[in-house]
Amino acid sequence: MKQTRKPELAVIGAGPAGLGAALAATEAGLKDVMLIERDIELGGILPQCIHDGFGSIVFKEVLTGPQYAQRYIDEVERANIDVLLNTMVLDMGADRRITAVNATDGIIEIEPRSVVLAMGCRERTRHQILIPGFRPAGVIMAGAAQRDINIEGLMPGRKMVILGSGDIGLIMARRFTLEGAEVEGVYEIMDHPGGLTRNVVQCLNDFDIPLHLSHGATFIHGRKRVEAVSVAAVDENLKPIKETERLVECDTLVLSVGLIPENELSKRAGIALDQATNGPFVDERMETSIDGIFACGNVVNVFDLVDYVTHSAETAGRGAAEYVLEGRKREKPVKVTPGRNVFYVVPQYVSDIGRDIDFYFRVQHPERAVRTRILVGGEPIESKKHRMVRPPEMIKQGTKPADFADKRAVSEITVEVVPGEE
Amino acid sequence: MMQQLERTALPRSAGVVVVGAGVSGCSIARELTRYTPDVVILEKESDVADGTTKANNAEVHSGIGEEYGTLKQKLNVRGNRLYDQFVEGLGVDFQRQGLLIVITRRSLPEKTTARLPRPVVNFLLKKVLPRLIVLSGRRKGIDGLRVVSRDEIFRMEPHVTRNAVAGVYDRTYGMVAPYKLTIALAESAVINGARLFLNTEVTDIKVEGGRVKAVVTNRGEIETPIVVNAAGLFADDVADMAGAGGFRIHPRKGASLLFDRQETAEYVTSSVSEFKMRGHAKTKGGGAMPTLEGNLQLGPTAIEVDDKNDTSISAEEIEEIFERFYYLLPDFPRASIISAFSGLRAPTEEEDFVIGASDKARGFVNVAGIQSPGLASAPAIAEMVMGILHDLGVPRSVRDDFDPVRPAPPRFAELDDEKRDRLIEQDPRYGTVVCRCEYVTEAEVVNAVHGIVPATNMDAVKRRTRVGMGRCQGGFCGCRVAQILAVELGIPVTEITKDGEGSWVFAGETKSFQKET
Repeated sequence: MKQTRKPELAVIGAGPAGLGAALAATEAGLKDVMLIERDIELGGILPQCIHDGFGSIVFKEVLTGPQYAQRYIDEVERANIDVLLNTMVLDMGADRRITAVNATDGIIEIEPRSVVLAMGCRERTRHQILIPGFRPAGVIMAGAAQRDINIEGLMPGRKMVILGSGDIGLIMARRFTLEGAEVEGVYEIMDHPGGLTRNVVQCLNDFDIPLHLSHGATFIHGRKRVEAVSVAAVDENLKPIKETERLVECDTLVLSVGLIPENELSKRAGIALDQATNGPFVDERMETSIDGIFACGNVVNVFDLVDYVTHSAETAGRGAAEYVLEGRKREKPVKVTPGRNVFYVVPQYVSDIGRDIDFYFRVQHPERAVRTRILVGGEPIESKKHRMVRPPEMIKQGTKPADFADKRAVSEITVEVVPGEE
Repeated sequence: MMQQLERTALPRSAGVVVVGAGVSGCSIARELTRYTPDVVILEKESDVADGTTKANNAEVHSGIGEEYGTLKQKLNVRGNRLYDQFVEGLGVDFQRQGLLIVITRRSLPEKTTARLPRPVVNFLLKKVLPRLIVLSGRRKGIDGLRVVSRDEIFRMEPHVTRNAVAGVYDRTYGMVAPYKLTIALAESAVINGARLFLNTEVTDIKVEGGRVKAVVTNRGEIETPIVVNAAGLFADDVADMAGAGGFRIHPRKGASLLFDRQETAEYVTSSVSEFKMRGHAKTKGGGAMPTLEGNLQLGPTAIEVDDKNDTSISAEEIEEIFERFYYLLPDFPRASIISAFSGLRAPTEEEDFVIGASDKARGFVNVAGIQSPGLASAPAIAEMVMGILHDLGVPRSVRDDFDPVRPAPPRFAELDDEKRDRLIEQDPRYGTVVCRCEYVTEAEVVNAVHGIVPATNMDAVKRRTRVGMGRCQGGFCGCRVAQILAVELGIPVTEITKDGEGSWVFAGETKSFQKET
């Protein structure tokens, strides 16, 4: 075992969140930042996202995933950041003590003064949604399939059925088609697509791939390899309607049925988690329930744009730097409550109203012609018009210190959706 | 020592041929090698423990659930007693974590309770039933049973339903991973001279003049005077080949759900099951079990099926498990489910074990109808079969060179940091974590491929290392494991399978089948 390392900041995960946080912390004055990544390269999931659509907010350009990642990787390499690749964090305590491992250093003990959690998320599996049937080869998650094709150069099948219309599923429908595989169709249990509208148009409609809304998979056939999947329409309780069941021949079932923030380390450390987001409760600086441990990106909640991941990462990185350099103590945080038609809001707490705050939130159900409002003590301070709001499309809305100017004591902040254009 | 698998031709003859490399076959084969190295094990699947054994729920029952006087009851009780000794030297984890049998308001049939006044029912449930269970156990030779009060149930297992009335604690009950045990037994047998042939299906048994002559397989013929039929679901077919049948195996499916160990590690500390008087006559009713790794496991169901290959799980079965356990453990962590699986038991119509030398084909020994408690009975089954085999001519004296120790490869996840560090110094591949959920390193995957009974596909690696058994179910590591397998086996990654022939993982390389335009 080597000597314990004591950096000012340890960032766990070097996807867009970790890269952004490490850089922001360096820019904010930290000199000793460690970036820990379990994969063989930096960038997280971005290197496998070879489609475009990244960076329109942060760079005002349309980039591919690898291009977006490279901009940060180049900067990280220029900055004096201690990068540990092929390194897996095994444990983290409430005292921020981290145990990691890699092949060259063996077990590594780290006692950082601050931590940014940026572990990202993982894909929901067939068992988590309990699809009945056999357990043959050929049931694969969309992101894993994306990695197989785009990084490893391997095709996971020839004829696919895609279950779930999350963004990765939609993008992979197009990718499979371009690679010469056949995509029989995309089946979505909800009555609306799970991914962004632009992906439905560009990945399915443009390639004549049918999208079957309100449909689920009811049985996986094939003992050794997938031979077919039974699909059926579902009723309003999402239960399959027996009479509509039909058999679809295929050799691969691709699942795009949701992402789960990877918070196993957060749980080990005892960080409080929000059941709505499956990520840590954070305040406006992305600080978790444990002082000095920050979180950003998809470990906090699944963002739908990498640009938002970067924003949250920069906030967390700056927050960690401030924590180390100024040792700020948190004041009594104010709870941010999801109001009408709001599923969740990040951050869930505000510790300091004296700074610009970005609220990210999702609605519970689609709604037309609405306003989204931020209320303080029941009074709206910020309001925005929307032609349409949908659960897959995250809404970002900010406040400035001036918005709170005439509020003497802030005890409650609510985010809500209200009908009408006002 | 390493098996060359299908690359090696079958031997022309063998002292004993064991058909089937499940837990029964491998227990017997290992026991055999104490006396003779001249043993051949034939398995039609691509790995040992690949049939009924792999989906077993890992329970080493005490025998309390078996009908008094049956062969399986006797072998169960005996097997349970032998267990610690049985696993010694095998490098397999076995723990007697105990079973809490919970008596609830629905433990007695409704017909009975409806006719009786409530105080009488309460008295029966609270005072009579638990004592009856303990007494019935004693009669079967089980002494680890004691009555547990309602309060004590909640102290032991706080998540148990408040409908619990009383209980019985069975401290001899234990758990052992069935596939790990079977792999260890097979490896121990191989260390001691047995030869194991996978992907080798028995197609006929030659009998001449009332004696076994040879076993015919898809890969050739082996002359042998003794055949042990431990063919599980197919034991009836194999027995018929020798004219030594007369029983039928009818598959009964059992489905179980498995939960994330990080979320459920302390959910129950012993196994918990609900007592049902004349509940499901053909099973012990299943329970909530903490695996040795800490995953909560719920199940199994019991459903008769026609197809010996039907290991599917239906929506109804999932529903049934949910309903049953919402009652027993009202707050069970539904959201932490990581896997659902099912397997087939191999009972006969009579529901008892069929173990014995055939009088129609001398040298042919049936070890059939082995369903639960087959895992618990394995040591006693091996013991009993050895008795028969000695009578058929297998030497009675233990070999001087019998080696009882089967070296178990290190498991990174189970070591402390100092030991981990030392391993990494010896082999840096112990420092590369391949499976992030279960903390399985590259070195462990490599070891599995080069094991004494080598893993040749993804599932075989999984059974040996736990790679892909965690919450992501191989989403992150699946491709990496396939690549390591390919390198170590010296074959293209596109030839890697999940579980033997037909279970291909990749259709080809990218650009290899784009449509011609």
